[in-house]
Amino acid sequence: MTSPSDTPSEGANGSGQAGRYYGRGIPYLPIGDYPGKLIAIEGTDGVGRSTQIQLLREWLEVKGYGVVETGWTRSPLMQPTIEIAKSSNTLNKLTFVLLYATDFADRLEKEIIPALRAGFVVLSDRYIFTALARAGVRGVDRLWLRNLYGFAIAPHMMFYLNIDVKTLIGRVLESRGMDFWESGMDLKHGDDIYDSFRAYQNRLLKEYSSMADEFHFRVVDARRSVDRIQDELRKNVAAFLEPPEKPAEPILPR
Amino acid sequence: MTFSLLHATDFADRLLYKVIPPLKAGMIVLADRYAFTAFARDATRGVDRQWVRELYSFAVRPDLSLYFRVPIDVSVDRLLARRIKLKFYEAGMDLGWSTNPVESFRQFQGKVLDEYDQIVQEFGMEVIDARCSITQQQRLVRAVIAQHLQVSRVEITDDEPV
Repeated sequence: MTSPSDTPSEGANGSGQAGRYYGRGIPYLPIGDYPGKLIAIEGTDGVGRSTQIQLLREWLEVKGYGVVETGWTRSPLMQPTIEIAKSSNTLNKLTFVLLYATDFADRLEKEIIPALRAGFVVLSDRYIFTALARAGVRGVDRLWLRNLYGFAIAPHMMFYLNIDVKTLIGRVLESRGMDFWESGMDLKHGDDIYDSFRAYQNRLLKEYSSMADEFHFRVVDARRSVDRIQDELRKNVAAFLEPPEKPAEPILPR
Repeated sequence: MTFSLLHATDFADRLLYKVIPPLKAGMIVLADRYAFTAFARDATRGVDRQWVRELYSFAVRPDLSLYFRVPIDVSVDRLLARRIKLKFYEAGMDLGWSTNPVESFRQFQGKVLDEYDQIVQEFGMEVIDARCSITQQQRLVRAVIAQHLQVSRVEITDDEPV
């Protein structure tokens, strides 16, 4: 419900300046030129994000960076609530979105912003795009979603681990199996978890790839081996964090 | 932000389960507080005004909204006469403006009332002078609602035995 005099709003969009709020942000929490860097790694369920982040973290720490990790639904405020809500049958698409947004807001205020201010490299296991993709698939208004997440900070680097459904299915079945939510069983496409997983993940991947253009993701081919993917991530991160030094200016004689 | 979003989640839940179904069934839904409360309270806590309005854009716009306006002194007197302890968030203690709950309440709710004054204009709410006696207010409310129901020609079905 908005007032009649509404002007077009500013929400999360592809022209966000790295390290700044996408939209109106949080007025009581102005952010400046913080020394920290926010690196987000997106990708669907089971694509190997956590493995890559763990390796990236070790590598960065060895190089002497302070690293803070943050991940979806991991806020102390919201994690228990989200678990309870997921286990009951009362969640609808709006409350689902809003619980995730609350979790994100808590981590942004209490983890991400303080870490950026203190000069940490923040590795984010998923970012707002997971929320946008999941809610988009469930038919939530895309503009409303982007406005909602207008308080998010545009990451300095945004990797997207891209995979096809066939490879993904193999990987998920080899590891932990298919789970209710990751198979989109709440969308009630049928009782068969395999069919549901394939249909749901197909739609999710389409949402992600449409955002890859919109938000300028660095797309990484996640069908390759763990090491190959990690190499590519490290090369990109190193180039960003440690740009090659400019040739020294010749000292002119006075 | 989390305060704002948690309330929006609760609101969305009640909207979908408690408000929309009876509206579909043609019933009258009385909401004790609505999105306007969030607009006033969240803005006072420093959340962006336009962002909160967009956040609640999924809400159903009420056919009629009433605002019971009361000066802050009357509000404080009434609350203190009824119970001694003011609630932490209701008094805006989370903002740290004052360690004295009554003083904090006065400052925080005073600002909330200022926000309401803008919201009343923005959304064309009907203002009820809440300094009056309960009976007077109730008569006023009934008059406003009766007029509204006649104008909007709502079909009133009375299944209750008289």
